[in-house]
Amino acid sequence: MTDALALQPQARVRTDPNHLGHHARAGEGHAKATGRGTGGPSSKRIIVGYGFWIFLLSDIVMFAAFFSAYAVLQTGTAGGPTGAELFDLQNVALETGFLLISSFVCGVAGLALAAKRHLIFQAGMALTFLFGAAFLLLEAREFLDLVDRGAGPTRSAFLSAFFTLVGCHGLHVSAGLLWLLTMMAQVATKGIRPEILRRVLCFSLFWHALDIVWVAVFTVVYLMGSIA
Amino acid sequence: MSLEDRHHTDTAPGDEYGEEDIAKGLRGYFIGLVLASLLTVASFAILHAHFVWAPAIPVALLVFAIAQMGVHLVFFLHITTGPDNTNNVMALAFGVLIVVLLFGGSVWIMNNMNRNMMPPMSASPQAPAMPMHH
Amino acid sequence: MLGKLTWDAIPLSQPVPLIASGVVGLVILGVLSWIVFGGHLPYLWREWITSVDHKRIGVMYCILALVMLIRGFSDAILMRSQQALAYQSPGYLPPEHYDQIFSAHGTIMIFFGAMPFIIGLMNFVVPLQLGVRDVAFPTLNSVSFWLTATGALLVNVSLVIGEFARTGWWPSPPLSEITYSPGVGVDYYLWAIQISGVGTLMSGVNLVTTILKMRAPGMSYLRMPMFCWTSLASNLLIVAAFPILTATLAMLILDRYLGFHFFTDEAGGNSMMFMNLFWAWGHPEVYILALPAYGIFSEVISTFSGKPLFAYRSMVGATMAIFVLAFMVWLHHFFTMGAGGDVNGIFAVTSMIIAVPTGVKIFDWLFTMYGGRIRLTTPMLWSLAFMITFVVGGATGVLLAIPTADFVLHNSMFLVAHFHNVMVSAVLFGAFAGYTYWFPKAFGFRLDEWWGKTAFWFSVAGYVIVFTPFYVLGLMGMTRRMQHYDVDGWRPWILIAGFGVIVMLVGVICQIVQLVVSIRRRESLRDVTGDPWDGRSLEWATSSPPPVFNFAVMPRVEGEEAYWAIKQRAREQARLRDEPDYEPVEMPLNSPTGFICAFFSTLIGFAMIWHIWWLALVGLAGAFATFVVFAWRDRVEYEIPAASVARINRANRATRAQALEHAERRAA
Repeated sequence: MTDALALQPQARVRTDPNHLGHHARAGEGHAKATGRGTGGPSSKRIIVGYGFWIFLLSDIVMFAAFFSAYAVLQTGTAGGPTGAELFDLQNVALETGFLLISSFVCGVAGLALAAKRHLIFQAGMALTFLFGAAFLLLEAREFLDLVDRGAGPTRSAFLSAFFTLVGCHGLHVSAGLLWLLTMMAQVATKGIRPEILRRVLCFSLFWHALDIVWVAVFTVVYLMGSIA
Repeated sequence: MSLEDRHHTDTAPGDEYGEEDIAKGLRGYFIGLVLASLLTVASFAILHAHFVWAPAIPVALLVFAIAQMGVHLVFFLHITTGPDNTNNVMALAFGVLIVVLLFGGSVWIMNNMNRNMMPPMSASPQAPAMPMHH
Repeated sequence: MLGKLTWDAIPLSQPVPLIASGVVGLVILGVLSWIVFGGHLPYLWREWITSVDHKRIGVMYCILALVMLIRGFSDAILMRSQQALAYQSPGYLPPEHYDQIFSAHGTIMIFFGAMPFIIGLMNFVVPLQLGVRDVAFPTLNSVSFWLTATGALLVNVSLVIGEFARTGWWPSPPLSEITYSPGVGVDYYLWAIQISGVGTLMSGVNLVTTILKMRAPGMSYLRMPMFCWTSLASNLLIVAAFPILTATLAMLILDRYLGFHFFTDEAGGNSMMFMNLFWAWGHPEVYILALPAYGIFSEVISTFSGKPLFAYRSMVGATMAIFVLAFMVWLHHFFTMGAGGDVNGIFAVTSMIIAVPTGVKIFDWLFTMYGGRIRLTTPMLWSLAFMITFVVGGATGVLLAIPTADFVLHNSMFLVAHFHNVMVSAVLFGAFAGYTYWFPKAFGFRLDEWWGKTAFWFSVAGYVIVFTPFYVLGLMGMTRRMQHYDVDGWRPWILIAGFGVIVMLVGVICQIVQLVVSIRRRESLRDVTGDPWDGRSLEWATSSPPPVFNFAVMPRVEGEEAYWAIKQRAREQARLRDEPDYEPVEMPLNSPTGFICAFFSTLIGFAMIWHIWWLALVGLAGAFATFVVFAWRDRVEYEIPAASVARINRANRATRAQALEHAERRAA
């Protein structure tokens, strides 16, 4: 059994065998940032935040797949109603307003948490919940109304794609509301610990991203779909 | 924290670099809210605006949508072009690339497929005859 | 109460699945009895099932993969033997079985054989090579593994209860729609892949974050080992591609369960769109598998040639080029579906371009070997076989990238030969090379070389004998997935392929024997220092197996090949580097979250397949409750005192000092 360390050592220690040139020794130069270049691992907050950011990007790719299906199947109305005939733009405007305000209030709640103002934080989160729930109620009412009028998701490919895309966003909002309540409970019972702060950071990333997706939804689906 | 330091640190996405002033933070969110609202109103308004050439309306909607997404990213998610945000922007750019490739590619491919392979569209839905499955 | 589930679901009248499930059932019962009655359950629960250690999770992934590879290979034996017998005869497998077998073969090999093997190796090696203690999200890592295991479990349950899909490993509509596949087969496929897909996506997020945000001080991007670069590219592809699969399969589920019309032939649906979206995931998927395999070869070839990797920067560039291009070629999987000349032409060009960076890599490996002192160990043999056979597979890929050629060869045996050529050469040979190379690091003793080489020769010979005839058959016009055939001229080639699978079987048996023999002879195969191969990267700086915290103190990296520099300095100065200042180390606590989450996911999957709605809700509630309980933990870490860290580290330093002294005396 040959021992690895028994092999002949090389004459010269080659620290740069690929001739990359090393201007930044460990911990120096502009690349000395932690987690970026040579400074060692990042702090936990950055690791968690960045990881969740990557997850959000994957979620946006999933929405892109649903958007693609919608774009392709838009014209597949099978003799049934088109978007222009079905969409209630006033309702959509209301939904958009509610979601935007909930995003704003969520941001304020984040500021409050950083300033350790518990009451304002909980109030902000509660308002976020209310506006988010209002959005969902309007959307649920719209869906039920469409089904009543015989324009449910089984009527045509266009409607299948519509219900799935908008419904997927709605499901994400619902999951977000559940998460929101959990965060309110966690801050109330455990106080402001680093891991709780990290989770609220992730939640606010999620909530703002949902509003960004909604911008795409109301533009591509509702507004462009209304141009008959 | 000095500007020099921004080269040597990293910021988590959603965090604002070195910002501890509540008033300044609130101001950022307010501006974001106002801009986003304006862009939303503009989108709805331009839909039936008679003074805009009709084929340009979808383009305008797209521009407003992208602008509003930018407003959300900058004012709500604090994504900046600073050196502390490089990784976050790179990740975002990667996501956008994939979305563009997937969405654009799929629409282009399926348009060609439909044009070549689907039976001509008529008023009533046609179900093509299907072979029996054994 | 039990949805569609009745006693009819158990195939009591069909001998083949009955015997197969009987055998498997007995084996499982035997293993479980040994665990429970042998008193091993507390150890297994504490050290493996609830472990959040990336090394343990990596090993479990690889064990799952090896078991499922055997299951997938047994499907292959069934297929080869059926085709060998079925000349102007029905063979012994009726079509409805044969269809399930080739569907299961593909599904298992890709999703539960190759993916877990590659992910397992990445999980085990990447944190060690980066010089850090664990991945970014250890508990999430455990969840990912157990969700993958859930998917594997569901696919295997389909053998006993119900049936599997008969659509092939990609369930294309309209055949996969409820009208033409009313049974539960396609549903088993859909839910198994959806659940394990969530696990894989989480794994992708985990490893991307680890590689980009957690590296030892001094390890800039261009100082990372090549395996870490390829893992980064692969995991970025996972993050980008798996959501597409999730969405596409979700649309098919909605079609089947709720009567939606995404892919149906009526009401405006578009079945071609399924193929478009599926392959938008499907092509990146093959690079998800192949890129880490390339990384393994880079490590192995560099180590066993005794030279640093040639043109490291071009390797990085080639890896990133493959990674970007992987998203621009997917239409070549359906040239014949009718997109037309313009579209076909563009994707043909991109498909040909993507071969170039891989060619760059081959040349870099060859130049790495040139002028080196080559040691023909088993991992090196696998790498050499890869380089020779993969070039053939890649070339046939470029040939198929020409749409006019593809119109003749699409879905023929030529295609089957091509993708097995590239998958077996790159992914399987790479996995075996990595398995042999890193086995001593994981378990503290090497695998037996003689059995390794024997397994290698039989496996490679068998692979050549099986798949070369496929190229010929494809050119002669034979379609894939045939249950029987009548053409005279195909017969000799099919028989040769049938013989080849027996040779491969000998290879597989040799691998199993190698493992058994190595375990029994482990004292004589012991890896004492932790560096059995004269390695060049940081994982070889630890003991074998590494302590739970990997490194007593995070190493400071000052060049590429961090460990090689440390070792050379030690040899020159004839002493180990200075002892570090030991500090207490905080490690994450073990957690049953992953296992329990997977348990509820299995309930959800099984319930959805059999339409047992109340059970699905129970599973959903249970999974949510598991997360909440996990989120309410007060203690998340435990501390290892500095004295223990010092003791463990000093033990390894002692063996290394001994080896160094031994080398000095021999040189003198």
